Amino acid sequence: MSEQDLRGELNNASIEPLLPIEKKLIGWSLSLGITLLLGLLIINRFYPIVL
Amino acid sequence: MSNAVVANDINSDAIPASKLSEDWLAVWIGLLIFVLALVSIAGPNLLGWVVTTSVWTGLGSALGSTSASYAKLGGVGALLATYIALLAVLSVGAAALKIDVKRFALAFTAAFAIAYASWIIGNYANFAAVTPADFKKFGISWSLRLTNEGGFIFALVAGLIVGNFFPRFAQWLKEAIRPELYIKIAIVILGAFIAVTVAGKLSLAGSVLLRGIAAIIEAYLIYWSVVYFVARKWFGFSREWAAPLASGISICGVAAAIATGGAIRSRPSVPVLVSSLVVIFAVVEVLILPFLAQTFLSHEPLVAAAWIGLAVKTDGAAVAAGGITEALILAKNAGEGIQYQPGWILGTTAAVKVFIDLFIGVWAFILAYIWTNHINVQKGAEKARVGEIWQRFPKFIIGFVLTFALAFYAASTATPETLVKITPAIGTANTFRVIFFILTFFSIGVLSNVRVLWREGLGKLVAVYLVSLFGFVIWVGLLVSWIFFSGVKPPLLN
Repeated sequence: MSEQDLRGELNNASIEPLLPIEKKLIGWSLSLGITLLLGLLIINRFYPIVL
Repeated sequence: MSNAVVANDINSDAIPASKLSEDWLAVWIGLLIFVLALVSIAGPNLLGWVVTTSVWTGLGSALGSTSASYAKLGGVGALLATYIALLAVLSVGAAALKIDVKRFALAFTAAFAIAYASWIIGNYANFAAVTPADFKKFGISWSLRLTNEGGFIFALVAGLIVGNFFPRFAQWLKEAIRPELYIKIAIVILGAFIAVTVAGKLSLAGSVLLRGIAAIIEAYLIYWSVVYFVARKWFGFSREWAAPLASGISICGVAAAIATGGAIRSRPSVPVLVSSLVVIFAVVEVLILPFLAQTFLSHEPLVAAAWIGLAVKTDGAAVAAGGITEALILAKNAGEGIQYQPGWILGTTAAVKVFIDLFIGVWAFILAYIWTNHINVQKGAEKARVGEIWQRFPKFIIGFVLTFALAFYAASTATPETLVKITPAIGTANTFRVIFFILTFFSIGVLSNVRVLWREGLGKLVAVYLVSLFGFVIWVGLLVSWIFFSGVKPPLLN
């Protein structure tokens, strides 16, 4: 498929609704990411960088 | 220039024509330079002829050999020796990659000449001098204060001119335009330089590395999911487009977009088109972010370092931008009388990037599993294999870890007499690292076809990239870098 075709496809593609598995992937990733960052933040608080 | 050049570069990475991949070639070349440099600890300086460039006002004083023992060569002799050595080693590498060696050699000669000439121009005193002492030394009254690392910007601009105004020449150069190969060699060498820098300051280094975990979480779990959602929900992209786009913007640019395209079994052209955008936006970031970091984060050097690692996409652009950021921030602090030890800013940026790279294979496997089992379920179609994790693992990281471990062991266990020899030995290897950075910048410039930005039909791709990168990725990266690195300063020079 040429780049021209791909560009046409980008503009004319029909909308694919989010599947439940995609919603799960987004939701789980975000929740896990925020939880892990908070965990690291706590570690950061109790074990500050030692110069 | 069409996307053919980008595609050629990307495809050479994704589907190696030979058994040796660019990643492994980078490991071998990086290790070769590292080992040859170490010989000088116990014997002759085998690499002291490599050319180094000083800030200059008279061209005659611009070039020289790294080691005084090769001073007889003169600047031009050192430059020629460096060119011949690189040509020889890289031509052997090209042969191993099954590239047309003659075409590679010719293209490399032109690329090296333009890139190094740009570097020399960037070291001109009116561009590079920083401190009042420099002004006095060179007898100048003004300077752009870009530092000598500003030469990278000149190499990038030279590449942009070639890529956008001389498309036929850019096409002719394509065999030697290999930013991924050059930056991976540089990163392998960088491992040793970082090790020597952090030896004796293990506690600080360990703390910085621990905080590198935040970068992994941020890139894969936060950035990816938000960008994927934005692309799918706000801009109406199909899954085939949204996944490589999310990986390109969130993780590490070209490599991630290609790995994701393979994982979700997209058509090869999709990640190639996404990658061409990734490269262009990386150039924009390299031209802007280091200067923003110098202006606003000069008193938080490691925040700046982590931010650059998180915000700038593609390994080459990110690590090289870390180099420019380090030079700019060290220069600004030096002007205020604060002399930080070099290596910490660049080392932190590289560590953040390497940490993120580590998980490309794992992430590609997770996406492949979800796509083949839940989204594109086809009877008899190939399912995700655990082996893909290793297949997509960026092997140059093995070289980085090896040089880091060996140099760290050597520096930590050496007697004071030996340690005095280790530092300049690694410094010589580091001169090669700078040269590979120059080649990376030039190559990225050549590959950046800015006309892609206003091609009809790509507006939506550009828009999602702009919204995600400048509306979200950069700011969240800054926030997380601030939370984990604020108040942490590199050691001062003794």
